[in-house]
Amino acid sequence: MSEIPELKTTDSTPKTVTRRRFILGVIASGGVVAAANYKFISSAVHGQMSSAGERLITINVNGMQRRVDVMKQETLAWTLRYKLGLTGTKLGCDRAECGACTVLIDDVPHYSCSTLTHTVRGRKVTTVEGLASADGKLHPIQQAVVDEQGFQCAFCMSGFIMSAVGFLKANPNPTRTELAHGISGNLCRCQDYNKILDAMMRGAEYMRRA
Amino acid sequence: MAVIRDVMPAFDLLQPSSAADAQKLLQQHGEEAWVMAGGLDSFDWLKDRIKKPKVLVDLSGIDELKGIRTNGDGVEIGAMTTLTEIANHPVIKSQYGLLSQAVELVASPQIRNQGTLGGNVSQDARCWYYRDGWPCYRAGGNICYADTPVGRNREHAIFGANRCVAVHPSDAAPALIALDAKFVIQTPKGERTVDAEDYFLGPEIDITRLNILQSGDLLTAIRIPSTFSGAKFYFEKVRDRNVWDFALMNVASAMVVSGGNIDRIRIAVSAVAPKPMRLRAVEDAVRGKPADATTGTMAGNLAVQGAVPLQFNAYKIPLMRNLVKRAIGGVQEATWTS
Amino acid sequence: MLENGQKEPTKPKPSERVYGAGYKLIGKNYPTNDMLAKVTGKAKYAEDFRAEGMLFCRLVLSPVPHARIKRVHLDDALAIPGVKAILTADDIPAQADSMNDNGTVIKASKWGERALTNEPLYQGDPILAVAAVDELTCAEAIEKIRIDFEHLPFVIDPLESLRPGGPNAREDGNVWVRPEPPNPPIPQLTKVKWTEQDFADYDKGNLPMGHAPDEWSFGDIDAGFKNAALILDETFITPDVSHQCLEPRTAMAYWQNGKLFLHSGTQSTFQTKPAIAKWMNIDVDKVVFISEYTGGGFGSKITGGITMIIPALLSKKLNAPVMMRISREEEHYIGRARPSVEGRMKIGFAKDGRITAIDMFTVCNSGAYDAQADGASAARIVSLLYQPPAMRQRAISVMTNTPPRSAQSAPGGMQGVTIIEPILAKAARRLGVDQVALRRVNCPEGKAEFGAAVKGVRGHTTSCFLKEALDRGAEQFKWQEKAARQPKRSGTLARGVGVSLSCFVGGTVGFDGLLVITPQGRVQFQSGIGNLGTESVIDVHRAGAEVLGVPWEVCDVVWGDTSKNFPYTCASGGSQTTHAMSRASHAVATECKLKLQEIAAKSLGGKPEDYEVANQRVFRKGGGAGLSFAQAAQRAIQLGGIYDGHDVTPDVNKQTKASVAALAGQGLVVSAKDKYPRDGQTYSYVASFAEVEVDIETGKYYILDFLAYADVGTVMHPAALGGQILGRSTLGIAHAIGQKWVYDPHYGVPVAKRFYQNRPPTILDVPNDMQWEALDIPDPETPVGARGVGEPPVGGGCAAILNALADAVGDEIFRRAPVNSDTILTSLEAGHPMQHPLMAHI
Repeated sequence: MSEIPELKTTDSTPKTVTRRRFILGVIASGGVVAAANYKFISSAVHGQMSSAGERLITINVNGMQRRVDVMKQETLAWTLRYKLGLTGTKLGCDRAECGACTVLIDDVPHYSCSTLTHTVRGRKVTTVEGLASADGKLHPIQQAVVDEQGFQCAFCMSGFIMSAVGFLKANPNPTRTELAHGISGNLCRCQDYNKILDAMMRGAEYMRRA
Repeated sequence: MAVIRDVMPAFDLLQPSSAADAQKLLQQHGEEAWVMAGGLDSFDWLKDRIKKPKVLVDLSGIDELKGIRTNGDGVEIGAMTTLTEIANHPVIKSQYGLLSQAVELVASPQIRNQGTLGGNVSQDARCWYYRDGWPCYRAGGNICYADTPVGRNREHAIFGANRCVAVHPSDAAPALIALDAKFVIQTPKGERTVDAEDYFLGPEIDITRLNILQSGDLLTAIRIPSTFSGAKFYFEKVRDRNVWDFALMNVASAMVVSGGNIDRIRIAVSAVAPKPMRLRAVEDAVRGKPADATTGTMAGNLAVQGAVPLQFNAYKIPLMRNLVKRAIGGVQEATWTS
Repeated sequence: MLENGQKEPTKPKPSERVYGAGYKLIGKNYPTNDMLAKVTGKAKYAEDFRAEGMLFCRLVLSPVPHARIKRVHLDDALAIPGVKAILTADDIPAQADSMNDNGTVIKASKWGERALTNEPLYQGDPILAVAAVDELTCAEAIEKIRIDFEHLPFVIDPLESLRPGGPNAREDGNVWVRPEPPNPPIPQLTKVKWTEQDFADYDKGNLPMGHAPDEWSFGDIDAGFKNAALILDETFITPDVSHQCLEPRTAMAYWQNGKLFLHSGTQSTFQTKPAIAKWMNIDVDKVVFISEYTGGGFGSKITGGITMIIPALLSKKLNAPVMMRISREEEHYIGRARPSVEGRMKIGFAKDGRITAIDMFTVCNSGAYDAQADGASAARIVSLLYQPPAMRQRAISVMTNTPPRSAQSAPGGMQGVTIIEPILAKAARRLGVDQVALRRVNCPEGKAEFGAAVKGVRGHTTSCFLKEALDRGAEQFKWQEKAARQPKRSGTLARGVGVSLSCFVGGTVGFDGLLVITPQGRVQFQSGIGNLGTESVIDVHRAGAEVLGVPWEVCDVVWGDTSKNFPYTCASGGSQTTHAMSRASHAVATECKLKLQEIAAKSLGGKPEDYEVANQRVFRKGGGAGLSFAQAAQRAIQLGGIYDGHDVTPDVNKQTKASVAALAGQGLVVSAKDKYPRDGQTYSYVASFAEVEVDIETGKYYILDFLAYADVGTVMHPAALGGQILGRSTLGIAHAIGQKWVYDPHYGVPVAKRFYQNRPPTILDVPNDMQWEALDIPDPETPVGARGVGEPPVGGGCAAILNALADAVGDEIFRRAPVNSDTILTSLEAGHPMQHPLMAHI
């Protein structure tokens, strides 16, 4: 019998990694600071930047400026879920394959599991929590999902909704086939695809009317 | 050492805002730096903790590397331009539709929204042994796990194998080769421009990388000359799933046909060999011949000469024969109406 | 190009028809009570909960397929700041024996899976768990751990294990046997090897048929084959397919006042609580299980997953909440999978296609740990679905060093249908019989018999209207027109149509209902069903509301947390919930009406039967004095005893009694056991139809059209039903079009662990206008008439696609699923079926 080979790694990790607790809790959105202040253009060429101070950044999430401590390697999905308490964004694969983590960055759908939080400074992040209006009125896509009773377990739902909202902003009047292509970067393991499409087509109609 | 996945190791993140700054950082950090474009290939290596760079140089803040510039002689596409932007660009769609077709078939909408052209052509091989961290030739070891009597190699190479049998996964690469694109590389010694097909490296030259970029090099732009502007294009990607799947095979061709005969042609395939393959013999054989099914069949048969199938990928031979045939002779359309 | 050739749908939207005639709620669509939380992102799945001071834990998985751990070196890992504890297999309590509902003690199996192991049986088997302040620290600690293994023989292919001298997955055996009654039905592991002679036809692709421990038969098989006009003997292989629930089996735990609070996903909130108690070996009253939302189950989370006790144990050790996130790769290993079944069938047919005899042989790849009997289950489904007058089945379930299997939607049923259907399709072509006609002549009807005789009597179904579903489906699908269409090939394209029958069990009996009418007059249903997306957690209570004649707006459904007191509830597996719990809901609502009448009589005089219940009131028949529900509930509290839960009806389960006691005093508290009679076993049925288009130059194919026509009794909730029918059809379709495992047999490890490698279907892999329909004929053996639906469509989804493919490109192209470009091109090129017909996991 054979032995599986030792898995290879290229280990060049510094031996003294600055380690901080992932879960520092939500840092309340303090004073509004222009995100651009934190885009250290010149400091970058000066090299090392691993102090906690430089990890404290401001990001615009659902229209609010949020101050948050972010590790350099931290993904947006992690920041949203574990730092800002926005758990509507789900992690289904953490590998840019399933789409459950989809959020809008400047109105464009992205996999937040595969976006570093430090790269969204100065950009506008929208999550499923940011869709309904302040008075609780649902976004047309959300309302359409309710009306069509789309989705089953709904773990994929917020990702699908964000994909659809992003796609429909750019393509307000799609055919069913075009819409299917538009939201094809999301997996539903209950495979309720037809009912999801029913809901999203209805949502497109609601959005056009709104 | 026990293995753990799906936790990115700590690194320093450097976010230059100009290509010059990026280059400085790359020179400064040398082999310790990892260059990240859209990140979609990088994150897998990092999350698998197989690669643990000290420094990550994120190119996403460099505006000068983004955008599509049209000029008298073709278009220049910044390496950091997203695939979505390329797929939707009116000039690329109308004049160089081969490329928009190719990039539209990449992975998924979200990936095209973030993934860049530079990243797509510079991504690493997707051999499932190599990507899982097995110490194979490509990873610096001395064995190929896919090419053993029982190795699972359904998605591997039928041409160009040299110890490694991984294929090049890029969808954009064959289209760029067919369009005779030039890759602009900023090196520590200055700017260098290479033909698309020369950007890629086979294992016989260097088994550990798929392209010519050396430490400190930066792919900045891809120029498409007007040579094949508005020509007859054919692109087809065959994959198992209709979204988010790598190609079992891609074919891309650009042809200028005059009087029914092929005047000029470039044709390339990917997911066939460790690098995207330009089919020069086919080009030479069909030049001057009618762009029809007979020529296509001849071309297809010629294209697969010398193919060496592995245990589970013999289907790639008829697939390549047929794709090349279609690229040149067209698809025999179905005539049913409903 | 086909890529863009998908046509825009022109057909009407499915099911705008009216279901549940005569009912106010049953058969009507409504937004479920959990919809708003889901759509706004507020619905909390296990990973969405946070607790003060929460630690994280990550697993260390076995890198090898089979080994004994000699020693673990943990010191370097424990020395890392922030590392709190490392759990080993030695810290896992021995499982408690359990007791079934009859009071029989079931000994914990010595081969049973534990949460961590010292003898990993597959690559990915959890060995250690590391708790630390964050995941980065966990990861760095894990990379400092060294483990000394003693490598042991392994096998991933069941046939290799059955060869003479072949390796065993465990040192003490390779094959599961079920002891004869009266021994308890706990499978025992034994060693079985076949002879070289048995393998003589292996290279021809014929499944070897050596000794098989599981066998039954009925009828005169020899006579059946003797009278056959056509006999086919074919081998067909179904794939191993992971459940891949989108929500990984993450769990979070903490202890408070000596009680364990555990958050995780499950298919049964009620049944998971005793499962946790058994795995933890603690008193069931010490467990509070919270599972408000579950991101998919499909059979893989029937009582959650055993690894959920890891954060519970770490939390106890560390006196802090612990979150164990499970990654997608880990889910691939520990998240369960459907076992592949290698099947061989010899079938005799009369001229008209009527089956005269079936001889069926199956080899089931049972994986590591628990015995799977999908082969034997497949045989039972075949015996029901095609009504052979004579049949023999032999099955063997082989342990391999691959991840543990579990039930997956239609366990065995899916494989049985997938193995037999391509043979039926081939027979129809050979005999010149229409495909639908061949299914029709073999189709079950009414109280159809199935399986082997037990004490001289074969089991039978409660009802079956599949023939009607087949006929109506064929009409809606325009089968005749599509099947007759010529040419089948044009340009490089070939089209084909396929039909399949399908069925699976659809309901159990004997569970309890529990409701409270509150002093505010609201009707509160206590629901112990898991909320995994089928909506049965809410839907079944529409039956109770219907009985009480109340509008849905005054009803509340309480679910998702065992501290909220649930009645004895079935697990949502085997498609039993809609049937079982609509009966329980019906029973408790009927009992509630009686109680309301009694309260009215006690309060207003007269006899209970002088009163009736309507319009949220109980009042004297023909008008007169009465009480509102609110008043009746207040009165119930005054009356106490049996009315407000201080006393309980004796015939409900003891867990129901405990829940009633906990709810006592909150209003009119009513519980009842489902004691409605039932003649027969409940099954549901589907007729599935598909059309495909294959490009013979690339092997690429598209599904053009798909219809599933269901016989599932009364339609309870059309939108949910449609989602189930098409969702589970697509789960079956996945087995045909590409989802599978790929293993390197030399190293015994998987190579296709990513979605892009193991390929669950995307929205573009199925037609965007799939159709479903349901007969809506009530099952006569249950008060509401509703049967379960989850599993019956699965086999039909897979087989209809396979049959359509064979119709398009020929019968000799594939002998295994899934079918992809490689199979089609290789076989077309070679002119005979693809290579390696019996090799596992290619």
